[in-house]
Amino acid sequence: MSYKIPMGPYHPGLEEPYKLDMICEGETVRDAELHIGFNFRGIEHLAETRNYFQVIALMERVCGICSFIHTLTLCQSMEQLAALEPPPRAKYIRVVMAELERLHSHVLWAGIAAKLMGFKTMFMTCFALREKVMDILQAISGNRVNYSMNRVGGVNRDIEDPLALLPAVDELEREMMRTVIPIFTTSSTARSRCAGIGVLTHEKAISCAVVGPTARASGVAQDLRRAAPYAVYAELDFEVPVEQAGDVRARLFVRALEIIESCRILRQALSKMPPGEIAVGGDKFSFATGTATSRVEAPRGEVMYSVTWKENSRNPARVHVRTPTYANMPAVRWMVRGARLADTPLIQASIDPCYSCTDR
Amino acid sequence: MTTLDSLREKLGIAEPWVESRGTHWLNPGSIGLRELAKVMNQVQARFVTITAYQLPGDEGFRLEYHWDLEGRLLGFPFLAKGSSMASIFDLCEAADWIEREVHEGFAIDFTGRDYEPLLLRPGDAPGVNLREIPAPVKPPTGLQGQEEVAR
Repeated sequence: MSYKIPMGPYHPGLEEPYKLDMICEGETVRDAELHIGFNFRGIEHLAETRNYFQVIALMERVCGICSFIHTLTLCQSMEQLAALEPPPRAKYIRVVMAELERLHSHVLWAGIAAKLMGFKTMFMTCFALREKVMDILQAISGNRVNYSMNRVGGVNRDIEDPLALLPAVDELEREMMRTVIPIFTTSSTARSRCAGIGVLTHEKAISCAVVGPTARASGVAQDLRRAAPYAVYAELDFEVPVEQAGDVRARLFVRALEIIESCRILRQALSKMPPGEIAVGGDKFSFATGTATSRVEAPRGEVMYSVTWKENSRNPARVHVRTPTYANMPAVRWMVRGARLADTPLIQASIDPCYSCTDR
Repeated sequence: MTTLDSLREKLGIAEPWVESRGTHWLNPGSIGLRELAKVMNQVQARFVTITAYQLPGDEGFRLEYHWDLEGRLLGFPFLAKGSSMASIFDLCEAADWIEREVHEGFAIDFTGRDYEPLLLRPGDAPGVNLREIPAPVKPPTGLQGQEEVAR
């Protein structure tokens, strides 16, 4: 006999408001229905009522974790409409901020995953590390969550002494290599909770069009930093980690390896940062009539903005946002099929879901 | 590697690709949306999203379908007259949520599929989020209005 177990929209096993209705037989999940929209704020409509300064502040609030990425994608679209090319230094600063945000997001995710595994000590260790990343973000931007770094034509704040940040990056990498990564990849607790759990096959990953670490853990080698480079990623040397197993452990491995790659990118970007201006275009912009599209590899995968403007207007005519969790979340239905009920909180967390992004 | 021109030939479209502000655009002409979706599956393009725009007056809607082909973002604009468009959900399961969202945001009906609510809550109506709905005609006021109500 099958029965339905609702999990959410408010549940100790879920960090954010959404709902999974699981159809179970005994302790085995046979199918699941997903429900979102509990955090819907109508941001795409609000964007049409904001001018070109206000819309950046608005879109920064789509997500609390990858707020920089959202404004970066928006500003890149608006720069195409304004025919502006940010100066090289601004592009390097954007890469530094984007990679720090990736570190912050991945370490935060590792902490939450550890908590869901029942590994509370690891949760505390990860969150202590996350604090160090946030300290660097605060030192650069003056803010810990919404950084207000991006503007049309560049960035708002300079990194006055980039090389001074290198020891902090080294320390972060050392801590990751010494504690977080070995424990996650070799401990029997992590292995028993993650290996073979929540499998998303390569074929299903392609048909669901999942993105980011979720796709790369199922053998889909796509990363916009490599496939469609923006800012200065084309000038930097880094690997794109790909795993084949498609389970929770593979998603954990991909993120762990990406932490190392982010540190590598950060070291290069901080060392190579050229001198010069950090923004062009002044404070008044005119945007051409038409649509511009930009895509960025956020910590959770591809973010895409389509921005439409009408000439002589201060407000965008339309802003459409496609976030990574929006692409990844439907695949959870396939991941939980056949899983034990007790594993479902960890399985849904393994895609690093963000409902603030998804609901917009 | 599939080149853009080989894809265009496969689709039987004579017009060239136009690269503009982050997207390679191709006017689908007489190619139907479902036919396009089948070809995109064949070349293993990744579905990205649908962006909907309301056109002025009674012109309907423009729906831009985006796929990623080996790092290149492809865009195909389609016109939806009369608030209706063929669904590609059965050909491309990744289009499920965005079709539901566009349906809820603009009250566009994707034919050939059923809907579950996505972002709307009970009591909300499709189109409440993004569709421009003409302002209701103001009821007559003053003495004339009172007389009309009395009649």
